[in-house]
Amino acid sequence: MSQVLIQAGTKLLNALGRHSDLIMQAYVNGTVKEQDYSAKVLEQLTQLGVLWRPDAQSELRLKSAVRTLLEGSLQDERNRTINANIGASLASLKTLAEHYKEALYHNKFNEAAAHMSDLTEHVYQLSESLSNSVRIMFSRINNEFGYVSSVDAKIRENELAQGQVTDLLSQLECFRFDELSEIAGSNRELRHLLVVSLQQRFSKAAQELSVVQARLLDLLGRFREFKGRTRLLKGYLLHMEQQPDFTPGNYANLTQVPVLFNQTASVIKPASVDVNSVEHEEAYHGMVASLSHIHKRHQHDHEDDKQQDIDMTEQSTVSLEKDPLQLAVEDYFCDVIDSGQPKTALSYYQEKSLTFDQEVWIYQVIGGYQALADQEKQFFALDAHGKNDPTYTGNFYINDITLGLR
Amino acid sequence: MMTEQGFVLSALLQGAFICQVTNEEAWRFLKSNDNAQQLEPHLNLLNRTLSTTAEGEVFFASYLTIGEAERKVLTQQFQDTASNLIPLVEWLLLVQQASESDMPVTMGNAIRLNELQTTIEDTPAYAEQLEKISRYKMFGSTSVNLDGQLKQVFKRLTELGYLSKPNPDKQIYLATGKVEHLYEMIRFIDETEALSLSEQAEAAISQGSLL
Repeated sequence: MSQVLIQAGTKLLNALGRHSDLIMQAYVNGTVKEQDYSAKVLEQLTQLGVLWRPDAQSELRLKSAVRTLLEGSLQDERNRTINANIGASLASLKTLAEHYKEALYHNKFNEAAAHMSDLTEHVYQLSESLSNSVRIMFSRINNEFGYVSSVDAKIRENELAQGQVTDLLSQLECFRFDELSEIAGSNRELRHLLVVSLQQRFSKAAQELSVVQARLLDLLGRFREFKGRTRLLKGYLLHMEQQPDFTPGNYANLTQVPVLFNQTASVIKPASVDVNSVEHEEAYHGMVASLSHIHKRHQHDHEDDKQQDIDMTEQSTVSLEKDPLQLAVEDYFCDVIDSGQPKTALSYYQEKSLTFDQEVWIYQVIGGYQALADQEKQFFALDAHGKNDPTYTGNFYINDITLGLR
Repeated sequence: MMTEQGFVLSALLQGAFICQVTNEEAWRFLKSNDNAQQLEPHLNLLNRTLSTTAEGEVFFASYLTIGEAERKVLTQQFQDTASNLIPLVEWLLLVQQASESDMPVTMGNAIRLNELQTTIEDTPAYAEQLEKISRYKMFGSTSVNLDGQLKQVFKRLTELGYLSKPNPDKQIYLATGKVEHLYEMIRFIDETEALSLSEQAEAAISQGSLL
């Protein structure tokens, strides 16, 4: 390759590097703000073919070649153009292959080598553009056309993408491998380029494109579904606006209740505590310990108490009901005082024909006597009648007692 | 310890809607036909059967035979649903319009409360709409400021099972399968009552009405 060409290329790349901020500005904004940069720089870039002016009034823009380079290298989402012109590329491939074969036939090896490298470049370019197209399709599907906001726009984008896929597929049909293999003939290098490499790329692209197509249809269905839902909601509101008294029929009363409206009520209620379950004892302890609000409530009660006056008069009216047995004993004591004669408890018991158990009666009389204050006790004398236990000394059985005045 | 089957069964008996958002494990369990069939006798014992909605993505228990008592429960439920339809539809449309993508709320959609609040605050029409929605009996908000209204609406919707809040510390809500069920119900009403709602909406849009 000539030295001049290399020098020119280096100069171009240097210019790109030096003015990278300008170029990126142009890439992001679409146009160059001419007042921000010196006219000389802009002129130089225009001459190098980096910038161009579509017509006299318009602003400077990036050349599409530079833009494509940036989009390809940056994997930019905005790159949505697809080069579907495979037929033309194939035709040029065939022509180059013919050139190469002719040069070989005439033993012009230098020329043949040049044609070969050209051909290689073309084949790889074609492969790259194919894989690039598929990659773009996938990236669009993966973010669900995120670069446009409304569902309508997404549907339009989806339709565009579907059209492009169809185009690509019909272009792929231009590949005629029988023709290509005929052209390649018995030449090993040509065969490798035109048949093996292209065929691999072709089958891969075709496979991926069919996946893309299915996914696109899927997405379109989803977008339509979204639109349908929106329409449904809006339609419902509109309907309710026009007929505010509309109420749907009571579907729960139909003989066959639609499953949509057949939803059961909850039947599960919380279970209760089983305090007899030893297994759960520890858990219950923990729960009770954590019931802090019980203690708080107690404190609260005490605070209430302090502020209240205690009504003493209420308490004085409280009287204790005496047991009938106790009353009978009191009557017995009074009877002895009244008569002044000693009397046994049992004879009084029979006299008044009391109904208590005899033993209980005697116990109560003894108890009544013992319960008297010492001063009062002095007025009475209590004698017990009974006998000692025949076997064990110290045990005295009381049969009756006599109460008398001292 | 309860088995997974027990957990799923008790969730169903509580009248819950089981979808991928609210209870992914139970949903996966029910997705397997064998498991669903094993549950069926238990449900049948209590006069219930496993039902699905939203193209088999949402599970719930429905009555097997409908007697007087069941009919009463269903009628009550239906009346609640019918009276809640308008507030719910208005809310769905508000969220859809206020979100940048203009996508309808569907199962699994994330709604970021802060973003929504910013958009509604910046647009007086949305703020008015929110105030109207929050006053419905279903939401019962008495708050005068937008923040309180929005929080109350989202709180009620979470209680009713239309939304779930996976992380209690973050104000991000996910739409559950019950939202799908809601769409199905509106669609059903549309078809049964022959309202042709979509056509009405279409006509209104083409006439350039307020919608």
